[in-house]
Amino acid sequence: MKEKVLALLQSEYPEIDFTASNSLVDDGILDSLTLTGIIAALTMEFGITIPYEEIIEENFNSVDGMAKMVKKLM
Amino acid sequence: MTFISLTFFAFLFITILLYFVTPLKFRWFILLASSIVFYAWSGFENLLFVLITALIAYFFAQRISRIYTNPNKRLDQKTRKLKAKSTLFVGLFLVIAALIYAKVGERVVSSLNSILSGEHIDIDVIVPLGISYYTFGIVGYMADVYWKRTKEERNLLKLLLYMIYFPQILQGPIPRHNKLSPQLAQGHPFNYEKLCFGLQRAVWGYFKKMVIADRFAIIVNQVFNNYEGYVGFQFIVAILASAIQLYTDFSGCIDIALGISECMSIELEENFKRPFFSKSAAEFWRRWHITLGAWFKDYIYMPIVVNPKLIQFCSKFRKKFGTRFAKNIMTVIPLAVVWILTGLWHGTGIDYILWGCYWGIIIITSTIFEPEYKKLASKMHIDISSWWWQIWKMIRTFLIFCGGRLLTAPGDIKVTGEIIKRIFSEFNIWIFFDESIYKLGLDRKDFWVGMAAIALLWFISIQQEKGVKIRERIASLPLVLRWIIYYGAVFSVIIFGIYGAGHHSSSFVYMQF
Repeated sequence: MKEKVLALLQSEYPEIDFTASNSLVDDGILDSLTLTGIIAALTMEFGITIPYEEIIEENFNSVDGMAKMVKKLM
Repeated sequence: MTFISLTFFAFLFITILLYFVTPLKFRWFILLASSIVFYAWSGFENLLFVLITALIAYFFAQRISRIYTNPNKRLDQKTRKLKAKSTLFVGLFLVIAALIYAKVGERVVSSLNSILSGEHIDIDVIVPLGISYYTFGIVGYMADVYWKRTKEERNLLKLLLYMIYFPQILQGPIPRHNKLSPQLAQGHPFNYEKLCFGLQRAVWGYFKKMVIADRFAIIVNQVFNNYEGYVGFQFIVAILASAIQLYTDFSGCIDIALGISECMSIELEENFKRPFFSKSAAEFWRRWHITLGAWFKDYIYMPIVVNPKLIQFCSKFRKKFGTRFAKNIMTVIPLAVVWILTGLWHGTGIDYILWGCYWGIIIITSTIFEPEYKKLASKMHIDISSWWWQIWKMIRTFLIFCGGRLLTAPGDIKVTGEIIKRIFSEFNIWIFFDESIYKLGLDRKDFWVGMAAIALLWFISIQQEKGVKIRERIASLPLVLRWIIYYGAVFSVIIFGIYGAGHHSSSFVYMQF
């Protein structure tokens, strides 16, 4: 799952190094507009609905966090 | 009572003194009592209004929490969530209705009167102090209880304190319950360093407000209130003065609020991060009125983004037009809603609605056409990482901000239209060289005192951008030098601050919102 999520993120945002940090949101690498794009990509690609309760830093700070969230919601 | 009055200084001195002599356990009560006095100073009816709002929020948050914890096993998770949601909506409706009543009540009721009775009757509508700020704080609180991001407040008085805590009630920052409430409830021991740092920050806020904002407000008022007598670059000077005035007025008030709160070791959230260093409109709004932007992001923007209906809607577009198009739709819809609401939050006049649309269109187009802009820059052989391009981006963002000021600063959209015509009616660039710039309300001395103050603000801002902690740096200086700076700061506010007949330095621009 992690590889799939990483491949998707890299194709959507080639200019961002998603593996460089484990605090992508906290470090300001992902702003709310980029987050929107990521949420759109994840929901459309994996056919999931992300409830608002899951929109927390922990789930978007790393590729690992995003992959775990997607797996949980599938 | 506002931050600039001897009454306030006496009030603050007594509050801080009482706070530290009271046993730790009861210190929150001193904050509550002083906040009630501060609030009631603006009128007892206002206090009643805010108390009713607190009661509504208290009741509905308790109810939402009880729905989640109800031991009835027949209630499944989905039913509980649905019940909690409908309870939340009723609570939000009541609180927001009070805000709408205060914002447009007077206009609506007097229009209805005119239609029904045929004559114009002026009516008085209660507009409680800081209603936009505490309403947003309390809406966030109820939503957070619903999303289980904060615990419901069991003590009504503590909830009331969260709403009307006096340093933040005038102009924010907009509070978050889970961050502020525990700090207010906890008694803080006396901390000399925090007291000193807090006072220093408050003095810096007074400097920004009284030396810079109130000085340049004279040009702004002179030119915009008598616009028939001005043309061309005289308006450009007024717009620039208005941009500086708004920033120093609002951020100055926030520095005072954060500073006086820090004296009691209570940390409010930062509301500004040197916005004029922003390289895009989106970045500007992450640095300007940060707590308002964060509020809209968390309570409006993100809930719309993850709404299953929007995702379904966008998925249809994806099949027909591809992922990028669908992603853009998913960004544009919540952004449009946020910017219309941001405009309405600032004012219900057409000028503020247009202002919201102005920022919304700039941010939306720069977001969805970002790849095209990059391609265009590459075709034009522009090195987007070069220093001059970065500087240009900052200037461009500042000019966009000035454009927004032109829409709202004159106070009437018709006047704005007239001013735009008059700007292009004469190319009078010589006003910068023939001393006529000193005839816009500030004489030569006052004008250059203002410019020197801006230079100091600019220098300090650059240091802060570099990561220098100014107060810590001052604290590390030798004693004599340190006290020269302290006295210099206080006396510069006293000597160079703007006072005088007919000038109301006590009113802050953002208080009207």
